[in-house]
Amino acid sequence: MGQLSNEEIEECTMNNSDQGHSEPIWNVAELLERVDHDQELLRDLLNIFKEDFPRTMRSLESAVAARDLKNCARLSHTLKGMLSSLGARRAAAAAAALDVIASSGETASLKESLDALLREGASLVPELDGYVAEVRR
Amino acid sequence: MKILIADDEALSRRLLEKTLERAGYEVISVENGKQALDELCKLEGPRLALLDWIMPELDGPAVCRAVRTRAEQAYVYMVLLTSKDSKEETVLGLESGADDYLTKPFNAEELRARLRVGERILLLEDRLVEARENMRFRATHDTLTSLLNRGAIMDLLARELQRSHREQKTTLILLGDIDHFKRVNDTFGHEVGDQVVVETANRLLGAVRSYDFVGRYGGEEFLVVLNSCDPAFARSRAEEIRKSISNRQIQTAKGPLTLTMSFGALLSSEWALKTIEELLHEVDIALYDAKAAGRDCLRVAKPATKPDPTSESLPHAVRLTH
Repeated sequence: MGQLSNEEIEECTMNNSDQGHSEPIWNVAELLERVDHDQELLRDLLNIFKEDFPRTMRSLESAVAARDLKNCARLSHTLKGMLSSLGARRAAAAAAALDVIASSGETASLKESLDALLREGASLVPELDGYVAEVRR
Repeated sequence: MKILIADDEALSRRLLEKTLERAGYEVISVENGKQALDELCKLEGPRLALLDWIMPELDGPAVCRAVRTRAEQAYVYMVLLTSKDSKEETVLGLESGADDYLTKPFNAEELRARLRVGERILLLEDRLVEARENMRFRATHDTLTSLLNRGAIMDLLARELQRSHREQKTTLILLGDIDHFKRVNDTFGHEVGDQVVVETANRLLGAVRSYDFVGRYGGEEFLVVLNSCDPAFARSRAEEIRKSISNRQIQTAKGPLTLTMSFGALLSSEWALKTIEELLHEVDIALYDAKAAGRDCLRVAKPATKPDPTSESLPHAVRLTH
């Protein structure tokens, strides 16, 4: 796997900011600093994420459909940790919001909150794939 | 240094593993609270731990509480590393017994610095334990010979007598005294006298089994306690111990010296239940008899030949002059 320059990393981070959000979808620079610029470790983490994120999201969707608040809280909390470790702050914030709603016992806005998280997840995954493709080039 | 990571979320766990391996730690990684507790309770288990809050089986705070109830084991420095970031949760986490609290995503530099704090606390604990053990050793051991001191050997004897009575076994008590020790001190000086005492202690220790006890009872007097002793072989065992002193010369700064010891012996099973003081008095009389018989020998205290209790004080007083 190749190495990106600081400028390329910055550009990548800036590009993945949506309009209306001050926070990027994925903060590559933050994650690179966290892994001490170890590209192999970063690739490991992305592989783990690509395997665990969809699986956990599916479980969360089932828990929301079943109004299973306990599991909703547990799974959204897990996602919050996973996403924040990855530097995906916006998706992490969406997972945190769902965690708060489920923990407070509120069922009315569960679905809405889940949809917000799904949207963030849908934006995030292509960003990660794009980065991997960029590094491979 | 070993460190435990307990996190059910694979991405965070992998990130932590790599970060801590780079920092030089020997990482043990588990996926739930039960496994974490098992690792932390092992005899040589890790003493630093990073615990996630929400985990299957047992959560992080429950692991902290369980570890803290085990007061007998070495201190474990535990850090809760979690996405729970409210003040209330921080307080709850620390109240459960965690030493520190960090929120995800962690900053690697801050994490390493906080773990170094933990290492300093553990080092401090090790030093305190070592100081306590040194003090305990000094309180129970003789400075010159490092044998058990009088108080400690008496305590052990009392315990052994109770056990042998309970298990219907025999404890052999030997009270030995270096013959003509005063002459050694007067002729060669106290430095040589000390060398003789130290070598005597070493030979007595070398002559007994690892689970027997030897203590310095007084200046040149030693108390030997042989547990679960077969009465049929008691006398020959006692003679072997006595001969370990006389069978070869003791090397001193003033040249080799030939020394002997006299012993009083007592087999606990031959006596009705008596206090430790009463039994030691009997063995003391037997030692006096050995001295009176010409020294370098052994006499066994027998209930049938026990002197009239009303005259007990006389031989004891006489023996003190030897």
